[in-house]
Amino acid sequence: MRNYLIVSAAAAVAMLAFSPAARGQNAAQQTHVPDISGVWQVTKFQPKLFPNGGAPFKPWGEARFKEANPETNDPNLGCLPEGIPRFMFVPLPMEIFQAPTRVVIIREGTQVMRQIYMNRQHRNDLYPTYSGDSIGKWEGDTLVVDTIGFNDKTWIDSGGLPHSEALHVVERIRRLDHDTLVDDVMIEDPMAYTKPFTAQQVYKLKPGWEIQELVCTENNKYTYHGK
Amino acid sequence: MRNNLLLIPVTAVLLLLSLAGSAYAHHATASFDMTQSTTVKGTVTGFDWTNPHAYIYLDVKNGKGAIEKWSVELGTIGMLARAGWKRDTVKAGDEITAVGNRAKDGRPVIRFEKIVFASGQELTSNVQ
Repeated sequence: MRNYLIVSAAAAVAMLAFSPAARGQNAAQQTHVPDISGVWQVTKFQPKLFPNGGAPFKPWGEARFKEANPETNDPNLGCLPEGIPRFMFVPLPMEIFQAPTRVVIIREGTQVMRQIYMNRQHRNDLYPTYSGDSIGKWEGDTLVVDTIGFNDKTWIDSGGLPHSEALHVVERIRRLDHDTLVDDVMIEDPMAYTKPFTAQQVYKLKPGWEIQELVCTENNKYTYHGK
Repeated sequence: MRNNLLLIPVTAVLLLLSLAGSAYAHHATASFDMTQSTTVKGTVTGFDWTNPHAYIYLDVKNGKGAIEKWSVELGTIGMLARAGWKRDTVKAGDEITAVGNRAKDGRPVIRFEKIVFASGQELTSNVQ
């Protein structure tokens, strides 16, 4: 047990080394906070981040990818959470709320809420979860979000890109103009992939839209054959 | 032709792909043959105004005069509402034509792209 704790602590330290907080960029809280609140809808649904293949798989990642079948074991078939970053790619509206300690995103989808903790470091007592632990800070007009602490039960995209518990996601979310939001996503997972890769999701503001209830288990006729 | 089962495969890949995101719900389109369009005309027997999909149930008379039980899978009710749908938009007894993509495994299920009512009114999942 003690050895396990030491290993976990070492892993947490190693992960923190990638985080903005550990690089001392979070020392001063930005006084002007940009406004990215509102209801946003993706402009283009991108089911696969590598539509023509070519994901930089390691053998572990490739084996998991070959097991992925959108007809049978997509976690969404079981109404399970999308996880991060797939949560940000769902072509249903999401609403961003901002508070001093938190950015909260609620959305229509199987996973209804995401919390981004502002101006704190990653907790050192994390256990694996679908959404991991998201921490954020402002860099000028950009919300920089660093997320670790995932379980390995979600897909990165709708095509079945897998990940391990070592997944690390860094997002840079900013308003291009009043009506346009963009999320530039960096994804790295040293167990599944040989190198980091990126994705971009663009959203349009939807004035007048409200997030509607979506109870995914109400009448789900699909069967999820996963773990 | 009224009440007849119409299965009209139409190669409309580009059109359908361009619409593919609009009816997204909780899964990808993997279960449906997105390479061809299928048209089914029949009498509504039920309408589930539910998530993660709404469903229309249809009695469709096939070429031999027998009734086939079809279902039409729609999107989430939130997005349908934004596209002008209401929970009573479709009622039992309505004669409708459904256009969409049939399940790959041959089940009498289609993922809808468009519903045409007897009046000629059409509804899609496209948000205005």
